[in-house]
Amino acid sequence: MRDHRTWIAIGVACLALPRPGDAPAADAARKPVEVPRATRDARALAATIDRLLAEKWAEARVIPAGPADDGEYLRRVSLDLVGKIPTAADAREVIEDLSPDKRSRLVEKLLDSPAYTARATEIWRQLLLPEADTEGQARFAAPAFEAWLRKKVIDEVGYDKMVREILTARLGARATAPANPNARPEPSPAAFYTAKEGKPENLAAGASRVFLGVRLECAQCHNHPFARWKREEFWGLAAFFAGVQRQGPEDGYGSVREVANRHELAIPGTEKIVKAAFLEGPPPVWKAKAEPREVLADWITSPKNPYFARAAVNRVWARFFGTGLVDPVDDMGGDNLPSHPALLDELARQFVEHDYELKYLIRAITATRAYGLTSALDRPEPTPPFLFSAMSVRGLSAGQLFSSLAQATGFRDGAEGSMTDVGPRGRFLELFANRDEKPTEAQTSILQALTLMNGQIVTGATSLEVGDTLAAVAEAPYLDTAGRVEELFLAALTRKPRPDESALMVGYIEKAAPDDRSKALADVFWAILNGPEFKHNH
Amino acid sequence: MFRSDRDAPRLSRRQVMRLASAGAIGASASGWIETLAASAAADPKRRKSCILLWMTGGPSQTDTFDPKPGHSHGGPFKAIETAAPGVRISEHLPKLAAQMKDIAIIRSMSTKEGDHGRATFNLRTGYQPQGPIHYPTLGSLVSKEFEDESAELPGFVSISPYRAFNPAAFSAGFLGPKYAPLIVGERGVLGGAGGTNISLKVDDMAPPSDVDLSRADARLGLRDALAKDFLASRPGVSPLSHQDAYQRAVKMMRSAAARAFELEEEPAPVRDAYGRNAFGQGCLLARRLVERGVPFIEVTLSAADGSMAFGWDTHQRNFDAVEKLSQVLDPAWSTLMTDLRSRGLLDSTLIVWMGEFGRTPKINKDAGRDHFPAAWTTVLAGGGIKGGRAIGDTGADGMTVKDRPVSVPDLLATVCQALGIDPATQNVSDVGRPIRIVDPKAKPIEEVIG
Repeated sequence: MRDHRTWIAIGVACLALPRPGDAPAADAARKPVEVPRATRDARALAATIDRLLAEKWAEARVIPAGPADDGEYLRRVSLDLVGKIPTAADAREVIEDLSPDKRSRLVEKLLDSPAYTARATEIWRQLLLPEADTEGQARFAAPAFEAWLRKKVIDEVGYDKMVREILTARLGARATAPANPNARPEPSPAAFYTAKEGKPENLAAGASRVFLGVRLECAQCHNHPFARWKREEFWGLAAFFAGVQRQGPEDGYGSVREVANRHELAIPGTEKIVKAAFLEGPPPVWKAKAEPREVLADWITSPKNPYFARAAVNRVWARFFGTGLVDPVDDMGGDNLPSHPALLDELARQFVEHDYELKYLIRAITATRAYGLTSALDRPEPTPPFLFSAMSVRGLSAGQLFSSLAQATGFRDGAEGSMTDVGPRGRFLELFANRDEKPTEAQTSILQALTLMNGQIVTGATSLEVGDTLAAVAEAPYLDTAGRVEELFLAALTRKPRPDESALMVGYIEKAAPDDRSKALADVFWAILNGPEFKHNH
Repeated sequence: MFRSDRDAPRLSRRQVMRLASAGAIGASASGWIETLAASAAADPKRRKSCILLWMTGGPSQTDTFDPKPGHSHGGPFKAIETAAPGVRISEHLPKLAAQMKDIAIIRSMSTKEGDHGRATFNLRTGYQPQGPIHYPTLGSLVSKEFEDESAELPGFVSISPYRAFNPAAFSAGFLGPKYAPLIVGERGVLGGAGGTNISLKVDDMAPPSDVDLSRADARLGLRDALAKDFLASRPGVSPLSHQDAYQRAVKMMRSAAARAFELEEEPAPVRDAYGRNAFGQGCLLARRLVERGVPFIEVTLSAADGSMAFGWDTHQRNFDAVEKLSQVLDPAWSTLMTDLRSRGLLDSTLIVWMGEFGRTPKINKDAGRDHFPAAWTTVLAGGGIKGGRAIGDTGADGMTVKDRPVSVPDLLATVCQALGIDPATQNVSDVGRPIRIVDPKAKPIEEVIG
């Protein structure tokens, strides 16, 4: 039993990367041996990004931070691509691997893993259906939406096609919320409409914010003297959703349906009728039988739309760097100019050229020099974040933190959530939910700190009876005290301790009576899990 | 060349964070332990506190504070005289009736939302749920205004909340987790309240039993040693907030003020007087927190034994449910007032009673009442307000506001003024736009402000 646990926690690297000299692994057979076009193109884009960022560094007379070491890079890219830290075994493997292309092989391995599907689904869901984090009604509808997203991620459907499916989702069938909440939901993007309460104004505001990176909410009620869009233009966009209606009781989980072919509406509280119109460009052409939402989808997802691809690449950029090229990411245009206009244009152009494929952007971004810089300061004051001259320090999302704690400690969430009890994971996610807070400005609450200090998960992790990682490390016969400390650092922080850290921890443990050394080791693990380094992607 | 102004607010916020946790970094383990704060009531500079009694589901005004005796809408409850001549309330609130001199009834609430989720958000934040802006709930707003960096307890405690109607309406929104409520005794979606097994303790407040104080200190010492280098080389808002939260959490764990949650310290007759149920004991806890200087406490009444799952949402059998809920409400609230008065704290503690809307004056076929935002009631008490009066009038049938309509912003602006907070104070929202605590169109109810 114990041998098995030792194996899991620290033993042989069962997920190790193939080394260059190894025989081709089974998965290599699925792919052509030569560098695929996607990889080649991603490298070219990475070089362009490097060049454009370096130009700004020179202009601003900023010397970028040094490169992240392998542990820092591995932890970062794992959190970004699969939503959790790597195992101690993976960490050791990568740190000790000497081959030059190990980072790109690492990215490919992560992109191919099932955990990437889960992570990408989560990212898209947060982006496209943010309401599900906070609102009961949207939460009920979220499983069908997630099932739909998962399918799109697995099929590697381009972003433009995903958005088109949302905008043209079939409405008006029966309920959008399943009668039995525990039943497996039919994949559908219709929750987008439920979450917006089936109201044309909410749909227009949400669609422009998410798909175009443009905030129109303020134009809903009045004309602001400096705002770019006027009230009538807001309602013109809303008129594409004029037929959408919510059914059912006022306080029930009503479904959303649509009256066909309606393309005008009255501004509430006025007599004014507004026809469906785009925010920019020539007016819509109404072909016979063209449904308004299809016409809108054509305009939004058109390669010629000046906002669509830019908004998407900007959001992806912000995911990886903590700050958008335009920031905030949903307020593009007007006074809020991009920090690197040429870079934003080029990313958008290449994204369109490469069929709006997310993995292409990820391959490019993770291969850049900027993404590979350390987050540690080597000067008294940080450089402005929009220069991207050092990696930002981002708080982990609730999901990243839970999965990373489970990874580091061996915690297994036995109970699946249900309607009446969301289980340990559900309670944890609720307590740590950070909504769409900017990760570089993530805040921690007192209750969150109490949970990490004294709560079930960390208490279990620091008990020899329950904590798999701790027990395995404490009892591995071939490790001395320094070796045990090193394993705990690798398991939680993806790095080996520095000499001063090792000395402090070893001293603390060896000061204890021999029978109490495992307890002292537990204290070390507790301190690591409760430190700011564990809680951050850096 | 570069928009240096773009980064200005962020840097200043970071600097504020840094100041907030100054001295924190590298503090020794012994530095975590603080001494007991001075007694609250004696402090002449004491700021006011606010206790929100939140009535989940929307209480029936007709069967509580705006009775319509003699009308078909009135139902079976009698109206009784109170300590304030001419002001009559339900017969099931006799103890509150005796304290009417310190209570002002607002009978002319006139709001627009009839959906539980939206109305809950509206009443608790003062705004309509809208787009990307995460409006903070009242408790977060007040606790920010009354922030005290030296306090041992958080500025906002929420007791047995029932958040399912709209979780966002219970959050700190764009103010961030620093102003999030410390939640105790939360009720699950289907879990009942009442019964005798009530825990109003803070979750995870104490280390596991095998970690004694010296071991806990040793752990914190190791943690700080590790944190020191990370915080020095990565001084962002997020790491500093993390450090700040740990310090405040440890301060609370070790504080004398945390004894507020030890309700066993109270004599049994006092606990009995409040009522041995989640709401009654919650009101007792609220008093103990006010004594220790916590500026905002909310206590939710979302169920009584035998009432429906959603508390005051009495679509059926309204009268049975309201009678039972009143039997919980009346002793708890009235004992809270007498207790605060005897400690000299009633004038500095504003009590607000409200739900998300009222209920139809017309009784439906199931002997129930449905959602009714058009003309309903909220109540203010203590806090130096002018009590002994009822504001507004809903006529003989209760169907419309005849006089002095009060909107949600009007009510919240009144609460702010009673607490000594300028309702026009601005906070920076998550969309970068400054947002006032209360919509500037609000008109406080001057008649009740002392």
